[in-house]
Amino acid sequence: MVSLSIDGVECRYGSVKILEKINLSVEEGDFVGILGPNGSGKTTLLKSISRTLKPYKGTILLGKTDIYSMKSVDLAKHMAVVPQESSIGFSFTALDIVLMGRNPHMKRFQMESEKDMAIVKKAMNRTHTWQFADRPINELSGGEKQRVVIARALAQEPKVLLLDEPLTHLDMVNQLEIMDLVKELCLNEHLIVLAVIHDLNLAARYCTSAILLKNREIFAAGTLDKVLTSENIKSVFQVDAIVKKSPVTNSLYIIPLSPQKSTSPRNCAIHLICGAGTGTLIMKALVDEGYKVTAGVLNMLDTDYETSELLKVPTVNEAPFSPITEQTKRANLKMMSKAAIVVITSVPFGYGNLPNLEAALETIKRGVKTYVIDEVPIESRDFTGGKATGLLSELRKFGAIFIKHPSELPTLVNATHDMMELRKRSPTDIPGHVKEAAKAITQPTFRKE
Amino acid sequence: MLIFALVVVIIFCLNIGFAPISFSDILAILGKQIPFLNGRINLSTVSSVNQVIILQIRLPRVLAGAVVGAGLAASGVMYQGVFRNPMADSFLLGASAGAYLGYTLAIIYSSFLFLWLGLGLYQIVAFIGAAFAVSIVYSLARVGNKVQVTTLLLAGLVMNIFFLAIQNLFALRYSTLPGLAGIVTWLAGGFTNITWIDIIAVFPVVLFGIVIGYFFTKDLNMLAMGDDTAQHLGVNTERVRQALLLLGSLITAAVVCISGIIGFVGLIIPHLTRLVIGPDHRILLPTSVIVGAIFLILCDALARVATGVSELPVGVITAIIGTPVFIYLLRRRKTSYSL
Repeated sequence: MVSLSIDGVECRYGSVKILEKINLSVEEGDFVGILGPNGSGKTTLLKSISRTLKPYKGTILLGKTDIYSMKSVDLAKHMAVVPQESSIGFSFTALDIVLMGRNPHMKRFQMESEKDMAIVKKAMNRTHTWQFADRPINELSGGEKQRVVIARALAQEPKVLLLDEPLTHLDMVNQLEIMDLVKELCLNEHLIVLAVIHDLNLAARYCTSAILLKNREIFAAGTLDKVLTSENIKSVFQVDAIVKKSPVTNSLYIIPLSPQKSTSPRNCAIHLICGAGTGTLIMKALVDEGYKVTAGVLNMLDTDYETSELLKVPTVNEAPFSPITEQTKRANLKMMSKAAIVVITSVPFGYGNLPNLEAALETIKRGVKTYVIDEVPIESRDFTGGKATGLLSELRKFGAIFIKHPSELPTLVNATHDMMELRKRSPTDIPGHVKEAAKAITQPTFRKE
Repeated sequence: MLIFALVVVIIFCLNIGFAPISFSDILAILGKQIPFLNGRINLSTVSSVNQVIILQIRLPRVLAGAVVGAGLAASGVMYQGVFRNPMADSFLLGASAGAYLGYTLAIIYSSFLFLWLGLGLYQIVAFIGAAFAVSIVYSLARVGNKVQVTTLLLAGLVMNIFFLAIQNLFALRYSTLPGLAGIVTWLAGGFTNITWIDIIAVFPVVLFGIVIGYFFTKDLNMLAMGDDTAQHLGVNTERVRQALLLLGSLITAAVVCISGIIGFVGLIIPHLTRLVIGPDHRILLPTSVIVGAIFLILCDALARVATGVSELPVGVITAIIGTPVFIYLLRRRKTSYSL
């Protein structure tokens, strides 16, 4: 039973602290993701574990031995490292490189034995590198090169495998293949794996646990559900992110939204009619612009519903997968009555959410500015036998503005808002040309067909 | 095959010189020295003067070229491997100059020291000089774990000038001393006045350095992957470095004692060899050793006859060939050690 325990480690470069108060205990079969933003100390942590950077304070024990008291050869028998980028500019063959992995197991004057060759061949077969064993390493592609380096690590027959961003520069297939391989090794050979991974989704999919670093310290550690929460991601990366469990892979997945912009709040309410994720980015954009965003009616568990929870956007909700009742429609209308602007996304309409469009029609009749995002033609997302299409044309008649792409929305909404503000302030004093300009922006007549 | 080429080159170059001696005579003279064969060879047709020229003058000289060439190439491989840089070489690193200063000092003060050590003493002091120079250059050029090429070259250059300046100072101050009479001209080293004693003193040291160095070739291969990677593969990088720098300095010191400073052999030979046979030090070291021997024998032969009037120091020839190679290397890859 091998274990790795890191106790009170503090690392410095010169007098600058890079890491502090690191405590971590890892057992066989653990696949630990080391996560965190750039500069949070991930690579430094890996360096201190791989004996490249001696900690200023604290101990790192492999089993019961301090790794800094071991000989390099002895440590290399137990621990292999796959570096961030292997700068192998030489024409060593792939086989030569993997054979180097046997070095710690050989004496200085010893040649590679048949046993060594067998181990190397096995490692290369596992990583699918045997077929180019004789090719010079600098003629291989990034993915192939990385697999050769992993084969070399396997040839060391380690108990601990450290990977420093093993997936940079690799395409999707290579990323998945390498992670599958590492995962399999971790499970079947009972390896301890520690990997610095940038892609939270890959970490979520493959790791058994994770540590999240922030400002040189461990911010969160433990199982993935505990570490990868929206709150943690928000406070470590300053990014709003939706965290869901994928029914396909049965692992968490993370949808990051763009980082928070700091704009001053605007005293203007906007109501979103959305669903099925069509409103997520718009909701985020409008919240970033400082509007008081509301949304509804949304079914609970809908992606947009989760976004609203994340962004603390008030909503009117309906039970999951249930049609909107008269009662919730009324609640929604009440919420919409406070809004200065209504935005309808390209959500598909069925009988269940048709009442939202009816509500929008009632609101526009009261003179509320309405934007319709018509990114997907209504005909292809109308599942009500033409009723939704009809309601949209009604909306158009009452002056709803149709726009083709959601990215145009914030500019238009801002212009509308600014004009409303101007009107409120001094209805008579607005110079003619400002009115003209604002009118031109807010009413792009050319978009009306 | 290379060894065969080496033998051919040796015999060929024995033919070069002012006194014309035919190949058959040369073969006969050499054959006479080999046990079992000597009974069958009749030397009566060969003049005794020619025998003396071949055995006492040309053969030691050619063999000295082989030993020195092999040693310089070997130390070049070691230095380049340790510094992960094709610009490293015992001449450019200042090791030769350090050794040379040590050698000069040893000659000057040997009358006060242990005279009985003879050439061995010169070698020891020269070794100290070389090791001293290299360790200074190494510590100057090393920033953290990385060796910067420019710093390396600058540090080597400065040490070179400095050690040679000191050496000149002593050499001129004591220029009347018998052992030092010719030493100033040694700045572009050569093989004048080589005797068998020189070769017997130097050959074991060079051989020892190369053989021990060979046991580190696997580590050099791993060092080529980068310090961290080498360490992760179980190489005690610091110890391997020190060992190889010492071995390189040992070989340098030994050859400087008989040939003076010959530049660029340690630069060109490992590099050209690497271009042909690849970067694996396990093959690179022995191949470079033989190629270095062949190269220097040829250069020396050229030096003997080039002007037609008097001999050139062989260092002149290697510098003329080596400088363009050096410039080419400098322009091709300014920072990285890769091929």
